[in-house]
Amino acid sequence: MTDIVVTLKNITKTFGTNVANENVTMNLKKGSIHGLLGENGAGKTTLMNILYGLYKPTTGEILLNDQRVDIDNPSKALNLGIGMVHQHFMLVRDFTVVENIVLGQETKKLRFLDLESAAKKIEDLCKKYKMKIDPYAKISQLSVGEQQRVEILSAIYSGANILILDEPTAVLTPQEVKELFQILRLMRDSGKSVIFITHKLEEILEIGDEISVLRDGKLVDTVKTKKTTKQQLTNMMVGRDVLFQFSKAEVKSDKITLKVEGLYCNNDKGLPALQGINLEIKNNEILGIAGVDGNGQKELCEILTGLRSTTDGRIWVCEQEMSDKTPKQFIQDGVAHIPEDRHKTGLVMNFSVMKNCILKEFDTGKFSKAGFLNFKAIRKAAEKIVKDYNVKTSSIEAKVRELSGGNQQKIILGREINCVPKVLIANQPTRGLDIGATEYVRQRLIKQKEQGVAVLLISADLEELIQISDRIAVIYEGKIMGILEREEIDIETIGLLMAGVKGGLVSEEDIAG
Amino acid sequence: MSVPILLPAIGEIFTQRSGILNLGLEGVILMGALGGFVGTYYSGSLWVGVMLAVAFGMLFSVIMAVLSVTIRANQVIAGLALTILGAGLSTFLFRIIFGIKKLPPSIEPFQAIKIPVLSEIPILGPVLFQHNILVYLTFVLVIVSAIVLEKTTFGLKVRAVGEHPQAADSKGINVYLIRYICVIIGGAFAGLGGAFLSIGYMNTFLDQMSAGRGFIAVAVVIFARWNPYRALGGAFVFGLASALQLRLQAVGVPIPHQFLLALPYILTILVLISVSKKAEFPKAFTLPYNRGER
Amino acid sequence: MKKILQDSIKGIIPPLVAILLAFLLGGLLMKIAGINPIVAYTSLFKGAFGSNHRIAETIVRAIPLIILALGISIAFKARIWNIGGDGQFTVGAIFAVFVALTFPLPNAILLPLTFIAAFIGGACWGGIAGFVKAKFNANEVITTLMLNYIAFYLLEWLVKGPMMDSNGHGFPQSELINEGLRLPVLLQGTRLHLGLLVAVVLVIGVYMFWRSTLGFKTEIVGQNREVAQYSGIKVNKIIVITMFISAGLAGLAGWNEMFGVHYRLLENISGGYGNLAIVVALLADLNPLGIVVSGFFFAALVTGGNTMQRMEGVPFALVDVIQGLAIIFVISRVVYRRWRDNGARTNNDNGILGKLVSRSGKNERTNSPASNR
Repeated sequence: MTDIVVTLKNITKTFGTNVANENVTMNLKKGSIHGLLGENGAGKTTLMNILYGLYKPTTGEILLNDQRVDIDNPSKALNLGIGMVHQHFMLVRDFTVVENIVLGQETKKLRFLDLESAAKKIEDLCKKYKMKIDPYAKISQLSVGEQQRVEILSAIYSGANILILDEPTAVLTPQEVKELFQILRLMRDSGKSVIFITHKLEEILEIGDEISVLRDGKLVDTVKTKKTTKQQLTNMMVGRDVLFQFSKAEVKSDKITLKVEGLYCNNDKGLPALQGINLEIKNNEILGIAGVDGNGQKELCEILTGLRSTTDGRIWVCEQEMSDKTPKQFIQDGVAHIPEDRHKTGLVMNFSVMKNCILKEFDTGKFSKAGFLNFKAIRKAAEKIVKDYNVKTSSIEAKVRELSGGNQQKIILGREINCVPKVLIANQPTRGLDIGATEYVRQRLIKQKEQGVAVLLISADLEELIQISDRIAVIYEGKIMGILEREEIDIETIGLLMAGVKGGLVSEEDIAG
Repeated sequence: MSVPILLPAIGEIFTQRSGILNLGLEGVILMGALGGFVGTYYSGSLWVGVMLAVAFGMLFSVIMAVLSVTIRANQVIAGLALTILGAGLSTFLFRIIFGIKKLPPSIEPFQAIKIPVLSEIPILGPVLFQHNILVYLTFVLVIVSAIVLEKTTFGLKVRAVGEHPQAADSKGINVYLIRYICVIIGGAFAGLGGAFLSIGYMNTFLDQMSAGRGFIAVAVVIFARWNPYRALGGAFVFGLASALQLRLQAVGVPIPHQFLLALPYILTILVLISVSKKAEFPKAFTLPYNRGER
Repeated sequence: MKKILQDSIKGIIPPLVAILLAFLLGGLLMKIAGINPIVAYTSLFKGAFGSNHRIAETIVRAIPLIILALGISIAFKARIWNIGGDGQFTVGAIFAVFVALTFPLPNAILLPLTFIAAFIGGACWGGIAGFVKAKFNANEVITTLMLNYIAFYLLEWLVKGPMMDSNGHGFPQSELINEGLRLPVLLQGTRLHLGLLVAVVLVIGVYMFWRSTLGFKTEIVGQNREVAQYSGIKVNKIIVITMFISAGLAGLAGWNEMFGVHYRLLENISGGYGNLAIVVALLADLNPLGIVVSGFFFAALVTGGNTMQRMEGVPFALVDVIQGLAIIFVISRVVYRRWRDNGARTNNDNGILGKLVSRSGKNERTNSPASNR
């Protein structure tokens, strides 16, 4: 009898030609907290979705208490005592806490709901794990941290011995993180096992017993927390000690192209997303924005393109006040935008390459006459983009959805650059692209800069930021934690700022661990 | 006269609560009406007719379930297809089975049952307690439906599927199955509503005898904000408008009676606006669910 | 040019298959019922095309169908489910006839005025739905449906009340419009009227609309509202405009029917054209030229169906059955496509979430079958 509850054995998972996990083997011990560390896209979530029965591994097997199990759907995982708290909570907002928790616990039979005894059981669990949750509160009235606790409760309630948490701290305040850690420790002490997915080093060093590091879908190593350092983990995550540097042209100009002052705004849920952002970008520099996803990057982009309204603050493009202007005016005044999600925002997937090439400018004189589209000009422009940007497509009539991600991104790039922008806002421009396309996009951004465009680059890929940015601003909870000049840029400092540690600039010992 | 609106509306509450708009009720009602009549005609038993009506309604609504859940087709279009097909098929079958005669075949419909004592109450008595058994059954079904939706595990699942299918799925609920069941429950109710028309209210089947009640039922569901009790009220409002206009016409009140008839529809639009503002719709309304999209 | 031809041939196959299947199933149904399907279908065909007179009759029916379907196609392409064709048709007709009966103007001025009135009448009626959708996000399916009933009662009230013909012996109808306003008959001895040309002009107009920047905006809004916003389009404005144009066209269909066929308001003038027009638009894949073909086809089905019932005793309801089946087959097309795509892409992935790879298929799925080409 070992103390290992779960073994993932040689798990490989492919999506088409994409390899998400490759030959991953991992053991989870009873009564321990196991960190799963890796950069965005390293395959952490995919691996855990396999354990939770949302995906089926392409090859490999799962052993539960040394027994081979086939987990082909979430309800099977729940029956086996595996629970998962997703990054996006799976709670019905109009339901009460107890309704959400009871949901899916019951059998197939039609039964009367017994919410009262369930609520009592929930209260007992709350006591045990030192949580404060009103079972009859509606989810929509709870804070994000409370909602997360409901998810954890829900898993425990249904008898989970193994709990998977996907980036649980991404949405929490520091205080809530502390509370979460306390709950997790209580769980561990009562013999449950926790898998904690994260890309934040500090946290996992604080809470984890063991840490497995994934990179590019492969397991780098599993180490004991006590026997590792931040430096070692960073190297394992990023995969190289020395970052290669692009040669950067000197910032010569002092002409400020984009300036924002005291920007405040709310997110879709009406909660504060940006809290006083000040930035300036000169006409031949790339300003990188580093930060953990969901710290206000999306909202910042939307404000700078007129898609979202501010609650306070002002924006200037070339000394022209842009506050409260419409998206169309932003386009006309020279703000180009490579959006984060090209499928959802950047392209009409069912349209031809040709039509996608003119989305931004179809009603200017360039492509229309007296209210009618000028197909001759459109065709010409599309052919030029396809040629100039090496877009691999059967024809300009082909639907964009038939193209690869890299070629789709090139169309956006070509279209946005063709607008002759003054400001180019690039949000995750290389996400999901292969190496060739990635390099190509980066070169193009640099070229834009050299031609006098102010580039704002938002990226989750630190390497990319360091490679091509002239300066890097770090965003955390809607605030700029610090702006690093070129000579100050290094990955550890950025990492600390990203985690909200302000003193990161000076405390060198801390980094050394 | 509210019953043939109320029954389909109750069923549609299940359907919509699970996130599906079945706009094809009209066709389902007609198939139910046909089933009710044919069953009664050949067996001589009204209850066989009722059962056949329900069976027809369920079977016919399976088409909607397949189109909206499995094929993930646009529900508006699928519903219209069902309406057209149901109207055509019921009439066609009726003609084929009974031929074209001068005098339509008929049966002896359900008779009104006077509930002793209660039906003696002045005014209220005749209004509430002198109906055929299907009417009483409908009232029972309203209560049962409300309890099932609000107080049982199944009801909770239905609501979860309509509000947040991903969450329901991640809790191990079979979203597709629940939606199939809800569409078919809707079909059963609409079929029963059809039976009420052909063997409760009338004594024969007539072409297009549903006369738009399927669409009105959809309006009632919105009007009632997906609550069976309020649907009772809503169906009553629609029924009352048509009853009242006949009286007013007879008495000669100077309000155009068409205005009264149109009033419930106007009210429905107003209710819809307020419901939409408050976003009270099931969140996944008319959105097909596909597990891959999370 | 060759490519356009190829595309249209490619595009015409799926609806043809759907119709063929519907006819086959309809035939099977007849066979079971003891009717000879070949005799029935022959009679149907003869009823629709058997003589000049029959052909003219088919065209007369096709005209309002085509115009209504054009209107519907515009809304549907923006993914606005306007099912209020009947109501918009009715209100358009009311406006037009009201203008014709009220203003003592020379015909040359009055006729264009009635045309404009019809457009505005329909457009305003549909515009209500567009407005509340843009403003309150009120589901247009329900509002347009409700507006159909309200229009129905409005018309009933008018022809039995304020607009009733005082010399009509109590029939629920308005006075006749003066003869100079009636659309001239094109073919002696038939009802075929000048409205045909109007329909042709409108088909060209809608074809041109899709080549205009406004049409392009409408199309983008229909495909993806987020992209539309990103491209600087005011989505709500486009929704209202789209509903306005769509419903205005429905109003013009009403105009055609009034000035070409009935010459007066009657009860229930739209007669369910609205729903049929949706079928027409869908089968044509929302393509204006396709609408001409499918509008003509369904008009033939209706005209021929009447003959079939009269001559062979086959219930007209069969025509409804065929229509219903045709739509079901058209929207089931995606099944075949999905099956084909999955076979090609995910053969190494048998997981239940395998379709994640075809994530980009999201738009396709939420699409109406109509905007899938």
